[in-house]
Amino acid sequence: MQKSINLRSFLTASWLGWQIESNWTDPFLFATYSIIKPVAGAAILVLMYSIVTQGNFDSPVFAYLYLGNAFYQYVPAVLTGVSWTIIDDREHYRTLKYIYTAPVNIPFYLFGRAVAKFIVGTFGVVITIAAGVLFLNVPLDWSRVDWPLFLVALFLGVLMLALGGLILAGITLMTARHSYYIGDVVAGGLFLFTGAIFPLEVLPGWLRPVGYILPITYWLELIRRSLVGAVAEAFPTFTALSNGDLLLILAGSSLVFGIASIFIFRYCDHQARERGLIDQTTNY
Amino acid sequence: MSLFPPIEKKRSGWQLFLMTVVGRSYPRVVGMQRERSWMFFDVFLPLLSVAAYVFVYRAIGAPEDYVGFVVVGGAMTAFWMNVLWSMSSQLYWEKEQGNLALYIISPAPMMAILLGMAVGGLFATLLRAIAIIAVGSLIFNVTYAVSSFWQLIAVFSLSMIALYGLGMMSASIFLLLSREAWHLANLAMEPVYLVSGMYFPVKNLGFWAAAAASVIPLTLGLDAMRQLVFASGPTLGFLRVETEIGILIILSIVFVTAARYLLAYIERLAVREGRLTENRR
Amino acid sequence: MSQPLAVKTENLGRIYKIRNNRKEKQRELLALENVNLEIREGELFGLLGPNGAGKTTLIKILTTLLSPTSGQAWVAGFDVTKQPAEVRKRINMVSGGETSGYGLLTVRENLWMFAQFYGIPSPEANRRIQKLAEIVGIADRLNTKSSDLSTGLRQKMNIIRGFLTDPEVLFLDEPTLGLDVGASRDVRSFIRRWMDENPHRTLLLTTHYMVEAEELCDRVAIINQGRVLACDTPARLKQNLRHEIFFQVWVIAPRLLDDYSFLQIPGVKHFHQFPEEDSLRLEITLEEEAVLSEVINEFAAQSARILRLEKREPTLEDVFVQLVGQRMEEVENVTVSAN
Repeated sequence: MQKSINLRSFLTASWLGWQIESNWTDPFLFATYSIIKPVAGAAILVLMYSIVTQGNFDSPVFAYLYLGNAFYQYVPAVLTGVSWTIIDDREHYRTLKYIYTAPVNIPFYLFGRAVAKFIVGTFGVVITIAAGVLFLNVPLDWSRVDWPLFLVALFLGVLMLALGGLILAGITLMTARHSYYIGDVVAGGLFLFTGAIFPLEVLPGWLRPVGYILPITYWLELIRRSLVGAVAEAFPTFTALSNGDLLLILAGSSLVFGIASIFIFRYCDHQARERGLIDQTTNY
Repeated sequence: MSLFPPIEKKRSGWQLFLMTVVGRSYPRVVGMQRERSWMFFDVFLPLLSVAAYVFVYRAIGAPEDYVGFVVVGGAMTAFWMNVLWSMSSQLYWEKEQGNLALYIISPAPMMAILLGMAVGGLFATLLRAIAIIAVGSLIFNVTYAVSSFWQLIAVFSLSMIALYGLGMMSASIFLLLSREAWHLANLAMEPVYLVSGMYFPVKNLGFWAAAAASVIPLTLGLDAMRQLVFASGPTLGFLRVETEIGILIILSIVFVTAARYLLAYIERLAVREGRLTENRR
Repeated sequence: MSQPLAVKTENLGRIYKIRNNRKEKQRELLALENVNLEIREGELFGLLGPNGAGKTTLIKILTTLLSPTSGQAWVAGFDVTKQPAEVRKRINMVSGGETSGYGLLTVRENLWMFAQFYGIPSPEANRRIQKLAEIVGIADRLNTKSSDLSTGLRQKMNIIRGFLTDPEVLFLDEPTLGLDVGASRDVRSFIRRWMDENPHRTLLLTTHYMVEAEELCDRVAIINQGRVLACDTPARLKQNLRHEIFFQVWVIAPRLLDDYSFLQIPGVKHFHQFPEEDSLRLEITLEEEAVLSEVINEFAAQSARILRLEKREPTLEDVFVQLVGQRMEEVENVTVSAN
């Protein structure tokens, strides 16, 4: 019974999320919209890099930052996908109270709602990588990709991000609607620590530990290693760790993160209900 | 004794305009007092995001002035975000919550309402911009060499007038839109950061692309400010500062005037099509 | 000299172009057709009709939120399409169930903010807020955040917002929607007092509660499917029904009665039945009293036992039934199922 409630919550929410995400315009505009944003984001970095290095795209630094940035798109997508649902349902559609009173598993519902953003995010990642390989010499050799490692890492990473989104969803339950996506802003902040666009060695020593405790850091490293092993080896951050070690750390830290997220969400959820915040509208 | 005495004198004209700005900015200012979480999300986290771009330059060995470029660009981003999220797309929320109809039927000018929203959010924006400049400069040792303080003030003020004029223009379009508004605002983030040269001198886009990007007031504003505050600024500048100031004056006039007419026009259109109160969700 | 007009409409019409999704072709929905109304200054005028009759559309046009697709309308002497700014200085509007204002602000702050949009200086605005809050009985909640208010209190806040700016013409769109009996009564008595105090104030009230219209309004327009079917004082509207006799009957019956057999009896104009806890309540309209005996015979034929029978005065509901041929709830049910 419980299982079917979880699955039903997830599947129905996925369907709903996709309807909301995609049906505001016609498919052509939707596709254009989904391409422009990630391409522009990548283009900023490409230009920054090309201005300083006079277009030396063959350096491993470029592949490092390009791929890191491409996959980092999943971070805001999933974090926002899960957490924004609270605001969307509470203050816009005003259905959160009904979702709460229905036999629905709220975390699974929130994960479901994020699926659409994940799919659009995937679209962005694929487009960005394709542009990199076709026009910017990103050294991605499909035959040398470690697919099993890539898929396992991707799965674990997305799961970990969804759990991170759950923490933000909990916080969102207790805070007002601000004019920005909390998931995007948090992702923007973590960009600094996770070695997404530069190796952690570039950070001052006192900031690096933040990167080491974030599972995203290990996830991005694993993704890079599975796709372009040679590039990843050029940077010293995790040379002492094998792929297996990294996977283990990612799984372990995701587990800790996951347990923490469930407790935090439950705490916030309890607080929100105690303070009567489930159906508040906080526009200001 | 009368329970409902008539109102002695209702203000109108510029007094009403001012009262409306104050009235609409009030919820913003008070809301921020009551919900402090924005400090973390709206000031602290963006600071980290700007720092990330600084370290990219460090990682690829860019000249130190580029670090300053990012810091200044990051600070100016805050104003663009304010225009986009606190003004333009805010109208969409106002419509959904039923406030828009009440604004429209009141004698208050719509431009004053929009300005009120922006001014209310400006405090957070200013704090964010100042925090980025201050912390960024301290941590990354950015050295400034201000060549003309007055020109700097002029450039900043003009950029703001033109930017908020552009914001009001786009807000009028948001009057017509429904859920698309949200996506449109979202779409105007990275592409605008790219073309306006938030993180690099816009000259690098090439003359024509940079010229086209100059329609966005941030582009020339940023370029001129960088020329005025960094030693290497003038060599990397797109046009002469004086020319950029001239163009910014024109942009300011055009955008503010256009916003006024466009708002009035779109309001009429929305009234005709019944879009002011619809709730398509 | 005749009194000046606060609201006037001439052949007013509105057609919406709608489509349910992007693939579907646009279709037209007639919301208002050929509406001609004249509301005098100082009048409390009611628009009575079922949900979806066009009441809100008419209010939207008169409050400058929507243009008509045909005809013209004037409020306080100004054309709503050509002179919206002039109209806006003189009106205000309150809708039932609205969620205006900002949840993070207190009641007082929300009201003060709206007063600013009408150019009311702060000291005067604050005085009026205090006084109005005392009258409607929410003075002790002025410092409560509006997101913490119950539906009834929130609606009282909205009512204050409407009256705060002392409009010449006030539009109340279903102001008691969702309110309990006590709160509705408070709102109605508040409205009456406001009107009684100044003969230049005009109020247009839309409602689908017959009692509300009957109790409050000087004149009522009955509207259905976008058309005004009748417009007069409640007394005169009911007077048209003076040749008809209204009975209310409670019976115990094994099942719902067969209305058709009753309507077949010559002289029976309307027959409606409403199941209650342990009986059936019947609303019957007859052309003359003599028909009653045949109706009673029909009860016996359908094995229905009469518990109580009473003759009653006609209501606006009866006027509606006479004009439309159906009760208001029936019209609403049909609209809902058609949607």
